[in-house]
Amino acid sequence: METAELTNNTSSISAQQRKRKHNLTCYSFILPNFLGFAIFTLIPMVFSLVLAFLHWDGANKISFAGLDNFKQLLEDDTFRIALLNTFYYVIGTVPLTMLVSLGLALLLNQPLVGRNFFRTAYFFPYVASLVAVAVVWNMLFYPAAGPVNEFLRMLGVTEPPRWSASVDWAMPTVIMASVWRYMGYYMVIYLAALQGIPSQLYEAAALDGANGWQRFRYITLPMLAPATFFISIMLTITSFKVFDLIMVMTNGGPGRATNVLVLHTYNIAFRQFRFGYSSAIAMVLFLIVLIITIVQFRMEDRWVDYQ
Amino acid sequence: MQNLSVQNDTKNREDSSYRLKLWIGRILSYIFLIALAAIMLLPFFWMLSSSLKLEKDVFRFPIEWIPANPLWSNYATIWTRIPFLTFFANSTKLTVIITFLQLATSSFAAYAFAKLDFKGRDTLFLAYVASIAIPWQAYMVPQFIMMRKMGLVDTHLSLILLQAFTAFGVFLMRQFFISIPNELLDAARIDGLSEYGIYFKIMLPLSKPALATLTLFSAVFVWNDFMGPLIYLNSQSLKTIQLGLRMFIQQYAADYNLIMAASLVSLIPVIVLFLAFQRFFIEGIASTGIHG
Amino acid sequence: MKRNLRLFTLIVVLVILATGCTAPPAAPDTSELEAQVADLQAQLEAASDDEAMAELEAQIADLQTQLDAAEEAAAAAAEAAAAEEAAPEPVTLTMAIWDQETTPYWQVLADAYQAQNPNVTIELLDTASAEYIDKVNVMLSGGDETDIITIKDIPQYSGLLERGQIVPLTSLIADAGIDTSVYSGAVEELTYEGEVYALPFRSDIWILYYNKDVFDAAGLDYPANDITWDEFDQLAREVTSGSGADKIYGAHFHTWRSCVQLGTVQDGLNTVISDDYSFMKPMYDMVIGMQQDGIIMDYGELRAGSIHYRGVFENGQIAMLPMGSWLIGTLIDAKATGEMDFEWGIGQYPHPDGVEAGTTAGTLTSLAINSNSKNKEAAWDFIQFYTGIEGAKVLAGTGNLPAIRTPEVLDVFASVEGMPEGTKEALQTTTVRLELPMDPNVSVVEQILNEEHELIMTGSVSVDQGIEEMTTRINEALSE
Repeated sequence: METAELTNNTSSISAQQRKRKHNLTCYSFILPNFLGFAIFTLIPMVFSLVLAFLHWDGANKISFAGLDNFKQLLEDDTFRIALLNTFYYVIGTVPLTMLVSLGLALLLNQPLVGRNFFRTAYFFPYVASLVAVAVVWNMLFYPAAGPVNEFLRMLGVTEPPRWSASVDWAMPTVIMASVWRYMGYYMVIYLAALQGIPSQLYEAAALDGANGWQRFRYITLPMLAPATFFISIMLTITSFKVFDLIMVMTNGGPGRATNVLVLHTYNIAFRQFRFGYSSAIAMVLFLIVLIITIVQFRMEDRWVDYQ
Repeated sequence: MQNLSVQNDTKNREDSSYRLKLWIGRILSYIFLIALAAIMLLPFFWMLSSSLKLEKDVFRFPIEWIPANPLWSNYATIWTRIPFLTFFANSTKLTVIITFLQLATSSFAAYAFAKLDFKGRDTLFLAYVASIAIPWQAYMVPQFIMMRKMGLVDTHLSLILLQAFTAFGVFLMRQFFISIPNELLDAARIDGLSEYGIYFKIMLPLSKPALATLTLFSAVFVWNDFMGPLIYLNSQSLKTIQLGLRMFIQQYAADYNLIMAASLVSLIPVIVLFLAFQRFFIEGIASTGIHG
Repeated sequence: MKRNLRLFTLIVVLVILATGCTAPPAAPDTSELEAQVADLQAQLEAASDDEAMAELEAQIADLQTQLDAAEEAAAAAAEAAAAEEAAPEPVTLTMAIWDQETTPYWQVLADAYQAQNPNVTIELLDTASAEYIDKVNVMLSGGDETDIITIKDIPQYSGLLERGQIVPLTSLIADAGIDTSVYSGAVEELTYEGEVYALPFRSDIWILYYNKDVFDAAGLDYPANDITWDEFDQLAREVTSGSGADKIYGAHFHTWRSCVQLGTVQDGLNTVISDDYSFMKPMYDMVIGMQQDGIIMDYGELRAGSIHYRGVFENGQIAMLPMGSWLIGTLIDAKATGEMDFEWGIGQYPHPDGVEAGTTAGTLTSLAINSNSKNKEAAWDFIQFYTGIEGAKVLAGTGNLPAIRTPEVLDVFASVEGMPEGTKEALQTTTVRLELPMDPNVSVVEQILNEEHELIMTGSVSVDQGIEEMTTRINEALSE
């Protein structure tokens, strides 16, 4: 950063002082948020991670568990199933949601009649009550006489899928519901980011004779990179943590077909009162997401232009 | 912006086949947008039609989208069933305070993360982002124990402290700040502006779309949050709108008609907020002040 | 950096010990120990080498045992002090309940008690029913002092008592001279290793609801009080009629696991915690057969459409509905407001061949005292009223079935306005079995049973496969 470079060139004592002062200024920006964040979120989080090495039933008898909780993971069938299901869900949701929300944002950034209405409409599933969302989605995909299956029958499919009532189709149904619920949310972020692209860039490109695709490829896409980075990380993390939607739509069923890690964590903690083991599962989830996030950060350095 | 470029294009090639193509494209876009809007608004229609039915008919299949005898009285009933006004007031209070704190502290911190270089910046930022990865269900109990020790259970303060300082807000604002050109800041530094001055006089005015986005997200989150108030609030006089909605759900039967009527009423503030903030997403770059 | 991390972890452990372990109110002893912990914490921050760290770690472990012991002593002292206290001072009792708005009896019973005991104020802590158990669990884990905990189901009960969060009542019951036989076996069902931790006040049993109009139209007799599941199956097939939107289904099984599995434990030979689930086969075969033949609605569709049993019954879409007695009050209301426009009746729950009529299954709602309560004695007095004969009469008057079912109480219940004819006969029971038995593993088992039930009912696996999976998975889970 320029200021840092400048200080390096001046005499060493004042450089050190200035550097310290600079650091203090920086910390003063972060402090108000960090204080609240550290006390009310970070400390309990560290608690919960420590719990992974303890046995605790939520009332008394804390005892040291060592790696017992982690050994247990290897024998837990449901954990294995939930882990695979979580990956299934993430892989199904993240790219699709990103593509659709980007497409919608580009479309609704055009001067279209009624775009305010469309934007509000697309944001709606995100704010609507989850119960209504789950009911409506299940109704659309109602096996016997839902509109989707009626349509499929019209196309000549004699035995359309039984969607959320079938072990094989329950997860795709949930994934589609998730894309539908969250695309409006990420569309808003893209819309806001699109406002940050200087129009001179497009004007200059137009003078150079760039076509629509080239303008998108060489101006819009790179300029959206910070937003894309944010969305890819947030979407990945929240998808790994999916809970509410699955809870109301299928509650992990049929059987364990849509059981995911956080649902399993919740059941272990609040149905079986094994807080230590539940924390161990959360820890695994945390490590997976951490690794992916670090990889994404590395990639950010490569494709986000920090000017 | 795109607006301008479209005009340039039309100037360059004013032949009729191009216009025809443009029109067909437009019409197809509208058909697509309208069909999609219909699907997106289905939960809204369902909520509306359910809210006008008898309870036993809510889940009747096939769905009767337009009830033969709409029961508008359901909307009157909800006001008598629970202290709705109190709940509205509580939710509004929490939403305003938390959103304000969230905006102030996150954008402040985000400036340092995005535009300043200091020791431990990247590690600290990674800690922020990584913390999002831990599911709340995992640390809910330790957090509750801590709050109880502080004597904050059954106060609004507990929820404010829990939700005002989130990693999400910092992350979102940082990503928007990053795309503001450094040359602007350097010029300001040369003019003798302090870092605080730059934050207030340059960053904030330039980040209206981002601030609008965070306001919207934060407000929707707080307004719709259920688990937080469930765990931390006991007194009837402190409860929020989402807790009020759940109070309709009984053990063995659920008055879904009333729930949906109440849900719809509770959505009005969120929709109004969204419409009010719309202009920040359409506002062109010209008005945000970057002229190169 | 590495040391910093370790230091941090240690501090965190310390804080956990200081917070988590002193959850009950601190007596003088514990506060002194807490001071020591704080002191140690300061030392720990100053500690510079690994050896000092190791030593401090040892000290922490030592302190924890001391803290535990002190806590127990403090709890015992508090109890003794509470026992000495005399009553007439003003007391405020808090009670955790659910759905206050739609469940009138909470307030009615509290008022009845306050009328007799003017020095007592009852404060109701209301939560939506679906989240009630989770909320109470989090509260209690945080050391909450709410005096009376309402117990909603058996898994909640067994969890609370196992974690020592509710007070044993056996000696109190003996001292008060309460005759537990009036609860017709319910107290015995709640006994675990010789101790009872809660007394029931409400007890719902499973009965058979039927739509009289449908039977009249088909020219058939109403279901008798004494029918077997086979006869039920037969009857359901005879009364099924129509198709499309006008179809009337002969019977209805709601999506709950218990709707099918209750019938398998009525004979008392097995409970749902078992090492071999083949005893469930006949019942599943019957229900799956009915589903395939269109006698009952399809399970997958009931789930996908979130279809409530109340709606389909009130709409006249089904002829017979095996369900709990909690529905009686709801149906009386629906009939009164005209939401339901046909005559309805109730009969005894069907039973397997060779089992006495009147054998049914039930659920209990009971009251317990929080171990952290500061008003244990007052709470116990309140519970005696609530679960006693006086409370039972008040409860029966609100159209709910009390745990004490003397003829006197049943008279009150049957005379509630709108009660269908034959209520007293239908509620006559010979044996009531708990839906779920008292067992520390009940939550684990229930979850597996729920999952396999779903698989069988959606046709994802055959009845035999599902039952085999139940057996292997539950044996595996219980061997841990």
